[in-house]
Amino acid sequence: MPLWSDPLFGQTMITLMAAAVLVLQITLVAQKSLVASIRVFGVQSFLLAGIAGTIGWFTGAGHIYVAAALTLLLKALLLPTILLRLVEKIQIEHEMRPLLNVPISVLISGLLTLLAYAVAEPLQHGMSYGGPAALGHNTLPVAVALFLTGFFLMANRRKALSQVLALLSLENGLFLGAISLTYGMPMIVEIGVFFDVIVAVLVLAILVGRIREAFDSMDVTRLSRLRG
Amino acid sequence: MPLAFLIAIPLAGAAATFLGRRRVFFEFVYCAGAGAALLASVLLAGRVLAGGPVSFLNGFLFADALSALVTLLTSFVWAVTAPYTAGHLRGRQPLEEGQTELGIRDVRLYYTLSHLFVFTLLAVPLTGNLGLMWVALEGATLASVFLVAFYGKPTSLEAAWKYAILGGVGLSMALFGTILTYYAAYEATGVDTWEALNWPFLIAASPQFNPLVMRLAFILVLLGYGTKAGLAPMHTWKPDAYSEAPVPAAAMMATVMLNCALYGLGRFYLLSARATGPAMPSKLLILFGLLSIGVATPFILVQKSYRRLLAYSSIDHCGIIALSLGFGGPLGSLGSVLHMTYHSLAKPVLFFCAGNAQQHTGEDSLRKTAGGLIHVLPASGAAFFAAVLAVTGTPPFPLFLSEFTVLRAGFAQGYGWASGAAIALLVLIFAGMFAHVSRLMLGPAPDLPAGDRNGWTVYPLAPVLLLLLALTFWMPAPLSSLLAQAAALLEVKP
Repeated sequence: MPLWSDPLFGQTMITLMAAAVLVLQITLVAQKSLVASIRVFGVQSFLLAGIAGTIGWFTGAGHIYVAAALTLLLKALLLPTILLRLVEKIQIEHEMRPLLNVPISVLISGLLTLLAYAVAEPLQHGMSYGGPAALGHNTLPVAVALFLTGFFLMANRRKALSQVLALLSLENGLFLGAISLTYGMPMIVEIGVFFDVIVAVLVLAILVGRIREAFDSMDVTRLSRLRG
Repeated sequence: MPLAFLIAIPLAGAAATFLGRRRVFFEFVYCAGAGAALLASVLLAGRVLAGGPVSFLNGFLFADALSALVTLLTSFVWAVTAPYTAGHLRGRQPLEEGQTELGIRDVRLYYTLSHLFVFTLLAVPLTGNLGLMWVALEGATLASVFLVAFYGKPTSLEAAWKYAILGGVGLSMALFGTILTYYAAYEATGVDTWEALNWPFLIAASPQFNPLVMRLAFILVLLGYGTKAGLAPMHTWKPDAYSEAPVPAAAMMATVMLNCALYGLGRFYLLSARATGPAMPSKLLILFGLLSIGVATPFILVQKSYRRLLAYSSIDHCGIIALSLGFGGPLGSLGSVLHMTYHSLAKPVLFFCAGNAQQHTGEDSLRKTAGGLIHVLPASGAAFFAAVLAVTGTPPFPLFLSEFTVLRAGFAQGYGWASGAAIALLVLIFAGMFAHVSRLMLGPAPDLPAGDRNGWTVYPLAPVLLLLLALTFWMPAPLSSLLAQAAALLEVKP
């Protein structure tokens, strides 16, 4: 059997890419520079598109290709471009100054990954392994880890744009969860979700710009006038 | 067909407004659209009552009694809010740097966004697909973020930012829950097309779903749509957003968006209760419901701003509806739809009166505003009192009946302690709200010119309050059977 039609090869590739996605998520936690974080997010989305494409190739399901193409176009190319432009345009500080320092943050994301494995394990219990029908099922813990780390990342960031980035990486976890569980959501839902993600980023980008104008800062800890 | 027509009304309105040039035209389109939508949803409710669930385009659009009821409430609130919006936007606006009037571009932006907001809120109950329902709710969040940020002041941007981020996180949790539900359906039935998220299919197949997956899905959806509805402890965006958004938009958010989020939560509650047994989801709903009422109480008692007061009152009502859903049984499900209905009728009036008071005094602080506003705002002041009595569940207003039903459901289902705690908290809330409003309205006449001159901000008040009062004593037969059918759909039957 040639390599490109061997499901075991596909499984290995998917596992490898999923591992890289997780490593990139932890890089995002450890990263202090905003521009580098945006690039890391772009690479992460690119790998996700790769995972989706691989699953599409081995299962022959057409709609996963659409999901892969949308991820590649929107999340790996368009969104990082928009965000980088925004950083350039409003000339913000590139350093993010998280609330917790880097070693503690990485430690916490390690613990969250362990938790993700504990949560995902019982869900995987009934799933079958091996064969094209089970491709990607072992990436579920990675998806949950991305989701949890994304939450932590949002709480740990002061700057508005880095919170947006954290929200996006959290949504990458959702996408990975969807393709690892069910090979993607149904087409029409998928398109709706992508549309929403794009609009959400545009909305947040507009808000970031206006907050920057009004407060002369993007530090969301300064948004504290409304209380009680 | 009426389904597609109903959805198309606000979209057409948004397009027309976007291309229009004159303020009167925007106002006319908004009011006419609201009227047409109300008519269409009454017709839809009639059809659902006469012939059972309606479905269009393969279940893409779908309406049973529950969605017909939520749609009817949405259109009703829109129809009441539309003339008020016209009046309110012509009045004094809390803008920056001494400006008090909106430019025509701002007015156009406001009406276009409002149409889009209504479109997404009508799409939530009218789509039969739980995945698309999520898309619609996310759309509602995005449209309303701009409405919250509308005045462009630093405080409105702060509120919009908190709302967008918390709403985004919440909705991503709800999406994960939806994905897990789809996975459970796929695993149980092998269907992998978009029909696997269609409501009639899901509810029929739900007893075979993997309970473990559905348990996780329900927790995620509860946190997600709970954030959208404003259940404590995910409620923190609400006071900021409601006090910074323009009053008519806040009134829509506090009633219609709350209904839509609870409607989605109710659908998932049914699915997971059938898959895992009702005990776990019910207990969670009761916990979050009670927590919401409990969190709202102290903030209502010590509140400094009457706009924020209304937000905490809406957190309290959201808690009551969730509590009722959690109690379950015939009484619990009836209590939740009744309370949702009456709350949607009463709450907009309260927002309108608060808006009129704020427009007249230029201040929404309970401390800084001199009392005695009823001398200068006779109509709004009287309506404010009546509406506060209504939303705190005082007889003869029908919210007393619905709260009574909810509390009775608690005793009937063996959650007497929860009902008891809720009664104590509701009494405190009544005292707090009434004390605040009395301070604001009663007392010697303040040094302000006579108000309530802006006709359209006053006309909607009395008819809605009278309708509310009439519903206490006489419920039209079709409405009562619609409510009964919606309640039956929300009841968990094994």
